[in-house]
Amino acid sequence: MSQAELLLSESGPGPRRAAGFALLGERLWRPASALLLPLAGAIGWEAGAEQGLIDAHLLPPPSQLLATFAALLAKGEAVQHIAATGQRVALGFFFGMAAGTVLGATTGYFDLARRLLDPSVQALRSVPPLAWVPLFILWFGIFETSKVMLIAVGVFFPVYLNLAGAMHGVDRKLVEVGRVHGLSHARIIRRVLLPAALPGYLIGLRSGLGLGWMFVVAAEFMGASEGLGFLLVDGQMMGRPTTILVAIVLFAVIGKSTDFAVAIVSARLLRWQDAFKPSGSA
Amino acid sequence: MLELDLVAKRFANGHLAVAAASLVVRESELVAIVGGSGCGKSTLLRLIAGLERPSAGQVRLAGRPIEGPSPEIGIVFQEPRLMPWLSVADNVRFGLAARPRIEADKAVREVLRRVGLEDFAKAWPRELSGGMAQRVAIARALVTRPKALLLDEPFSALDAFTRLDLQDHLIALWNHDRPTMVLVTHDIDEAIALGDRVLVMGGRPGRIYRELSIAAPRPRDRTAPAFVQAKRAILDDLRLARRPAAEPADGYAI
Ligand SMILES: Nc1ncnc2c1ncn2[C@@H]1O[C@H](COP(=O)(O)OP(=O)(O)O)[C@@H](O)[C@H]1O
Ligand SMILES: [Mg+2]
Repeated sequence: MSQAELLLSESGPGPRRAAGFALLGERLWRPASALLLPLAGAIGWEAGAEQGLIDAHLLPPPSQLLATFAALLAKGEAVQHIAATGQRVALGFFFGMAAGTVLGATTGYFDLARRLLDPSVQALRSVPPLAWVPLFILWFGIFETSKVMLIAVGVFFPVYLNLAGAMHGVDRKLVEVGRVHGLSHARIIRRVLLPAALPGYLIGLRSGLGLGWMFVVAAEFMGASEGLGFLLVDGQMMGRPTTILVAIVLFAVIGKSTDFAVAIVSARLLRWQDAFKPSGSA
Repeated sequence: MLELDLVAKRFANGHLAVAAASLVVRESELVAIVGGSGCGKSTLLRLIAGLERPSAGQVRLAGRPIEGPSPEIGIVFQEPRLMPWLSVADNVRFGLAARPRIEADKAVREVLRRVGLEDFAKAWPRELSGGMAQRVAIARALVTRPKALLLDEPFSALDAFTRLDLQDHLIALWNHDRPTMVLVTHDIDEAIALGDRVLVMGGRPGRIYRELSIAAPRPRDRTAPAFVQAKRAILDDLRLARRPAAEPADGYAI
């Protein structure tokens, strides 16, 4: 469609359609724009290695990383490592989220629970999560359980803090509307408090997931025979920077993808929000 | 009939917000309450709504004491208090949680039509102007067909044009099924234009200082001599009512 046609059709059903195309373009452009910087970096890096400006032994160029990754894929090892790490993060995230949600909602709603529990939880929060590692190893051994526990600890705190804080910050006036309409405690929690606290809760889940990816590396450094963290250790032992870099890039890509997925779901759930949008956004 | 029988409210901090208020509002009557800020108007309304328990005395609706919030009494606050995560229609439906879906849908459509927002059923609250949001709040209060509708300075945050518009609208809604209505306002014109009676409240402690009956048919000409005269009388009363009560009403102590 030409520019003139677009303008002329503005009084008919056209604008919608045009807006639809614009929206589709927008949808594709947005994620694509995020890839510009990494792509430019990769090209520069490759060119630099080609020209001998970068020492390919210490910083192997993208082509070598791709080759190594392809080899790992072919042997089925890439999938195995990604699945191992992904499973640990998923399990740790699940348990951390469940505990954070239950405890956060409890202290967020019941004042007594808040006074009894919250100070202790806050005190535990100031313990560096890695400090638990020796204890977990003694308790659960060096296998999966202690790894999942460590990740769950990392996920728990942001989920707990954000949910309890968000529930505490819910406008008393909205809760009163629930009371006016004769809603029970349980109904008020479900129909007023939880939806009102949802933005804070989702932020908690998102930062919890981020921490889950941080802690999986620590957990896999504890000793693992598979996983992206294992690849890192393995690459160091074997003196293979390519393996290390492949694992790092995989962390970046997978971590960002899961975060993006949560962000998309959040935006969908929070489309009612009247929030500030940076200029130039749709 | 809505009855307040020597109702008093002392808050936990010892502040006596309402002292010995007695009042009878006939069925379908529209009573306006004016008074300086902090004189206990909102507290009085919250006592009627069952949101606060009186420290002494009793509030009765149709002879039954009010023990807590009930679907027979609707309330509209100064702010619309819409749930931002619910569409306009779902906000109105909020008041109908217990009803079967189809019946609730019908009631929601009907009341949205009456407040002139049927086209906005699917809109988010953030997409509404202040006046529209307040009409949704009124619709939410009316959808349960309450016997009594309480309004706490419902139009005070709106601009003058919107306010006039909503005042007319409120009368039209009231005419539809004639709930008993108590309207708290700090706008004396609004009180005289809408009320069958205007009560002037005084503060420290909050009490009903005087009342004025307005018999003129609605809509009322705001420039008519009788209107202006009523306004002058109420202004005088407000001035007098501002002085602290010398002593609590006779034979009364809490
Ligand atoms: N929950 C409360 N606890 C203690 N004092 C209150 C409370 N609510 C209101 N008050 C006090 O009671 C008085 C009357 O308040 P309110 O009924 O809101 O006045 P109005 O609506 O007439 O402006 C005010 O002095 C206010 O500070
Ligand atoms: Mg008030």
